[in-house]
Amino acid sequence: MAGDGRRLTLGLPRMRKEAGERRDFLPPFVREVAPHAARVVVENGIGSGMGVRQDEYQGPGVVVGTHEEAYGQDVVLVVRVPGPEELRLLRPGATLVCMLHFPTRPGRVSLLRRLDLEAVSLDSIVDDEGRRLVEDPEAVAWNGLDAAFGALEHTHPRFWGPRRQPIRVTILGAGAVGREAVEAATKCGSLARFDRLEATALPGVEVVTVGRNLTRVGAYMRDRLRVTDLLVDATARHEPGQPVVPNTWIGLLPRHAVVCDLAVDGYELDADEPTVRGLEGIPAGNLDRWVIETDDPLWDATIPSGVDSRNRRVVVSCYSWPGVHPRACMQRYDTQLTPLLAILLDRGGVGGLRPLRGPQDRALLRASLRSWPSREDVRRSATPRSGSPILRRRAARRPARSPNRSLTQSAGSRPATARQQILGS
Amino acid sequence: MNVGLPRMHKEAGERRDFLPRFVAALEAAGATAITLEEGYGAGMDIPASAYEAASSRVRFGTYEDCLEQDMVVVVRCPDETGLRILRRGSVLLSMLHFPSWPSRARLLAGMGVRAVSMDGIVDDQGHRLVEAVEAVGWNGVQAAFREIASLHPMFSHPDRRPLHVTCLGAGAVGSHAIRAATRYGDPQIREELVSKRVPGVEVTVADFDLTWHEDYMISRLHRTDLLIDATQRVDFSRPVVPNDWIEVMPPDAVLLDLSADTYDFSVRPPKIKGIEGIPEGNLDQWVFHENDPAYGRLDPRVRSVNRRLALSCYAWPGLKPLQCMETYGSQLEPVVELILADPAAAWDPTSGSYEQRAVARAEVRTWLATAAA
Repeated sequence: MAGDGRRLTLGLPRMRKEAGERRDFLPPFVREVAPHAARVVVENGIGSGMGVRQDEYQGPGVVVGTHEEAYGQDVVLVVRVPGPEELRLLRPGATLVCMLHFPTRPGRVSLLRRLDLEAVSLDSIVDDEGRRLVEDPEAVAWNGLDAAFGALEHTHPRFWGPRRQPIRVTILGAGAVGREAVEAATKCGSLARFDRLEATALPGVEVVTVGRNLTRVGAYMRDRLRVTDLLVDATARHEPGQPVVPNTWIGLLPRHAVVCDLAVDGYELDADEPTVRGLEGIPAGNLDRWVIETDDPLWDATIPSGVDSRNRRVVVSCYSWPGVHPRACMQRYDTQLTPLLAILLDRGGVGGLRPLRGPQDRALLRASLRSWPSREDVRRSATPRSGSPILRRRAARRPARSPNRSLTQSAGSRPATARQQILGS
Repeated sequence: MNVGLPRMHKEAGERRDFLPRFVAALEAAGATAITLEEGYGAGMDIPASAYEAASSRVRFGTYEDCLEQDMVVVVRCPDETGLRILRRGSVLLSMLHFPSWPSRARLLAGMGVRAVSMDGIVDDQGHRLVEAVEAVGWNGVQAAFREIASLHPMFSHPDRRPLHVTCLGAGAVGSHAIRAATRYGDPQIREELVSKRVPGVEVTVADFDLTWHEDYMISRLHRTDLLIDATQRVDFSRPVVPNDWIEVMPPDAVLLDLSADTYDFSVRPPKIKGIEGIPEGNLDQWVFHENDPAYGRLDPRVRSVNRRLALSCYAWPGLKPLQCMETYGSQLEPVVELILADPAAAWDPTSGSYEQRAVARAEVRTWLATAAA
């Protein structure tokens, strides 16, 4: 029930980021959540990208509407973040539920607030132990590594040749995605490729995992990169203003090396708290194109001017790795989201959530935009970080702000990390 | 249905028992009487009154009393003498490991016991629903880094080189061990050392497509500070790391065995541990220095001339008994609810509810039928 006692409506718009985006919520999910809503509006054409007929969505309380109508409901659920124009289709006070990535998208947070929206970020929904409840790290890792090994088969001069040394993979980050990436890497990204390799007398894959207590040791990193065939960014960074691997280090990789981007970081250089990518100067791919050669136009299209991208290797990158296999991805999200969305609708939205009512209430509250301002206050009260050279150059070009926000100050006490903030809230 | 919760008498260091919360869940699920063995919870300093407060249906009895109930729940499997006390038609819920103990499966089936193996309860995707692999990885790695810290005077010094860990296997246990190793097995230590700018840990993973490559492995072991066995082998007759390879490792290197593999010369071919020559540990002793008497107790056919400080434990989660039993208790609650709701139900691995299918896969009759096929 909403605050005025009426039941909430739910909108399921389609994602129009690129032609390769084929994901929509599946019919079983819609049937499960429909009893918890006054009405579910699914966008015309839902499921068509995965070969699901629209009539399979039919059921009590489910209606088909336009893109605008789907966005015009009390609660709007969509996996990827809508563009600014789509955000403006939401009514003030409506609740947007999607992968909002609050920690690395401060500009987006500000926009949501200006539009007077409630929001729940799917990537911030964690249980009482801090474990994410809506995620598909397995698909991120396996789909990404499959693409990366596919590219390496072409770039490596002796991938299938005799007398090859073990393939050397370096994975940055040992979190949920990094952990899955290790297993995927030991299996060459796919069991079929692994079986093929096993049938040869060639040595397999050496996987080295490096956490943030080592990525900052320059001498070690430079030595390791010189022998790395496949570099994987699976970091969840504590300092999004600083790259983990500066572009000059990418130049140390062998010519045939492939860079695999499993993080979803973007560049937000003009934001109050600027963000850069973990691997400096690599382009961002999408579901239309995720293998990016060194002369691909995506380098210019997705990397802001001023970011050093002179050192290039073939990059595999996709903002939505799970979307490579859309049905499997949505089956997983459907299972994870059904109980959470039912609670959100039953409670009448974020305002009706109460921490003492149960773990799901707490998980949703932690992920809500309402919980975020206090975190920002924490950030603002902390001494700012020093930032990377590119950020310092940008900061120098920006109008002066209050002294305690200066990016040129040396780092003192580190701001509370997103994780710490979530757990601490 | 009356439920019995016997204690585990494997070794003195085994302190685990189900927590009062689990007893309350048994009552809520419909248990008519709950018999706990005398001293239940004492290993974790939980008084009898805590169990009595959790359920009015609790009473205390002997080990044998507990095994004579309609349903018996215990994490580690009782020995054969204990199993023979079970009544025909009763339910045993325990870690029964049918694949590696087929004789146990046949015994229980022959006795008419409805045995459900906790380790066999898996969902439709084959994921185990009752497990503590995270605790295996973290507890083992934490114990190993405690030893490394005491062996290396420079452990906390900013001038030391990065530590090199080699992990054999990247499966369920391996993936947790890898994450734990990047954090010294303890996030707090990681934070402290990061703040002091101490170089961290490089974790290298070698799976079975690489462990056969002797030249690679020798060069890798040569600079390994901590070697972890997190393998899930199919062939137990050959070690992954023969004892001779250990000779090339640094003298202060540490060996960590996270597998539950054993030496067994009563079978053909004999079973050898993944890292050849390290003793088998338990909850009484899991750290073995090079001159430990445990080496003398190894079967003489096990080659163990090359030694390093070794850690091995059959039940790593038991190092933190409260945490472990909280995990098992919450994972088992829906299972006991299902069994108590309809103990005579014929579960089918291919139909019924999610829980019914999962439990059906773990039943001894299902396992025997599958094994026979």
